[in-house]
Amino acid sequence: MSDSAMKVQNAISVSEQERRELETFVFREAQLADESRYEEWEALLAAQIRYWVPVVQDNPDPDRDVSIINDNRSRLSTRLRQLRTGTRHSQSPRSVMRRMLSNMTFAKSGEGSFTVEANFVIHEYQTQSVNQLNVWPGRVEYGIVTEDGQWRMALKKVMLIHAAGPIPSMAFIV
Amino acid sequence: MVQVEKLIKSGSVHARLYTEQEIFQQEMREIFGKGWVYVGHESEIPKRGDFLRRMMGAEPVIFSRSADGFHVVANRCAHRGNLICQPEKGNKKVFACQYHGWVFGANGDLLDMPLTSHECPDKSKLGLKKAKVDSYRGFVFATFNPDAPDLLEHLGNAVQALDRQCALSPAGEVQLRSPSVKHLFRANWKMLSENEADGYHVGFVHDSFAKGITLKGKYDNILSGQEDSITAVVRYLGNGHTELDYGPTYTQPLTWLGVKADRFPEYTKSMNEAYGESAAFEVMRSGPPHTFIFPNLFLAETCLVMIQPLSVGETVNWHTPMYLKGVPEELNNRIMRQGEVAIGPSSFLTADDAIIAERQWRALRDSPGWLDISRGEAREQQRNDGAVVSHYTDETPNRGFWKHYASVMTKTEAGVTADV
Repeated sequence: MSDSAMKVQNAISVSEQERRELETFVFREAQLADESRYEEWEALLAAQIRYWVPVVQDNPDPDRDVSIINDNRSRLSTRLRQLRTGTRHSQSPRSVMRRMLSNMTFAKSGEGSFTVEANFVIHEYQTQSVNQLNVWPGRVEYGIVTEDGQWRMALKKVMLIHAAGPIPSMAFIV
Repeated sequence: MVQVEKLIKSGSVHARLYTEQEIFQQEMREIFGKGWVYVGHESEIPKRGDFLRRMMGAEPVIFSRSADGFHVVANRCAHRGNLICQPEKGNKKVFACQYHGWVFGANGDLLDMPLTSHECPDKSKLGLKKAKVDSYRGFVFATFNPDAPDLLEHLGNAVQALDRQCALSPAGEVQLRSPSVKHLFRANWKMLSENEADGYHVGFVHDSFAKGITLKGKYDNILSGQEDSITAVVRYLGNGHTELDYGPTYTQPLTWLGVKADRFPEYTKSMNEAYGESAAFEVMRSGPPHTFIFPNLFLAETCLVMIQPLSVGETVNWHTPMYLKGVPEELNNRIMRQGEVAIGPSSFLTADDAIIAERQWRALRDSPGWLDISRGEAREQQRNDGAVVSHYTDETPNRGFWKHYASVMTKTEAGVTADV
């Protein structure tokens, strides 16, 4: 069975309620990222997380191919600490952002473990140097797990359409 | 021709050098058109027929390997100027133009053209524009100037930096492979070139990094804030090449990689076998070079950076991990991780450098005037080999960069033939 066929079959096993809760979770994650609410966003993270923006489009491997971002929990904490210093020039002042998520798919990958995928577009008003609107389109994959009865994010893989091309500083939560 | 020598004094340079279109075009002609330019590493195209698209200044080129060696040719059909090769990389024996079907070899020779039963022009006169190519320890450079000096003469003291990089491998080689991360700076290319060996900015631009990291060690010395306790140095190496040297700040092997000396015992063992214990210790202690090689190569400790000018106000910083041949996979993995965190659009360091450069470029454009680069003029010291050494925060590298720049950009007036 192909990967996509497997996903379709698995999608059946996601209940309506789970689906609503997962959707609510990723919409909240998107809003907290848009608004650079670092503490609240960090509270969504599972104990183990990979926050990943690959360069390679087809079957990227984070241990083989260099990435734009490849954070484990500890590196992501450093990233957020740096953002909170007030002297992270590439986010000081913070970008003004709104993102859209659509074409969402839901799949169950194990007991209490789900994959949500969506197309996205982030509209970023870059306020640090050039004062221009940047558009960041792509597809995002979330790995979502339950920890202590709460939804938590264990994977955020952001596949930018133009990841392989020259991109300007992207220091916000993508 | 802009008389750039009027814009460069010993301790100051004029803003116009970073913002004027005419000067940018002159740089593409005089610096990237007539001097040696870094185009890639041999290991990036390991097999016969492998090619990469690259840029020499603003000019697109094809960098390839064939049975008879490495070639760099203009990516422009000799017939009607169409781009010969669109893919970024691949493997091809020949390059066929998709406009009228002319076929060229990797070395640029015109091999064939369609419909020649009645008329066939002299193919030997219609090849692609070919660059002179040479390499040092796998680092490949090219120039479109047939009269350019030998590569080794251009590299001068910078060969020590390339040697220092290669010595970190027990096999004496670094290995690069795709992909690269490409970071767009909306600023002039010289701001990137100068910033690579600017120690003065580190405590300010990277203040948030200093506060954000909990892992101490690597940066303790330079971020101490105490001028007299900083032991890192800057150097002007000659021919426009510059460096920061963090070696003096390290006492133990592998501090530069952010790990304890005993983290990779197999690596230490193979280094000891390759170089002998005391030489290996010294190589692993002093760490990689942090060296800029004029005009577009930066050895950024764990990764290689290629500086690609796009326009007078836009530059792309390409970075690729520099893996060490013959070391454990975990060590190369750490090298990749270290590069990702230091350099790139979302990195902890250059994401901020880019923003500062973008602010600076706009301020220079809109409020032109003279810029001061005189810090440390009185305390810098000249070495026997001609290199000039000074305190980590001194502007010795900037002064050297501009001195060389002036000599290259004013050659035409001194009698060297200008481009047609």
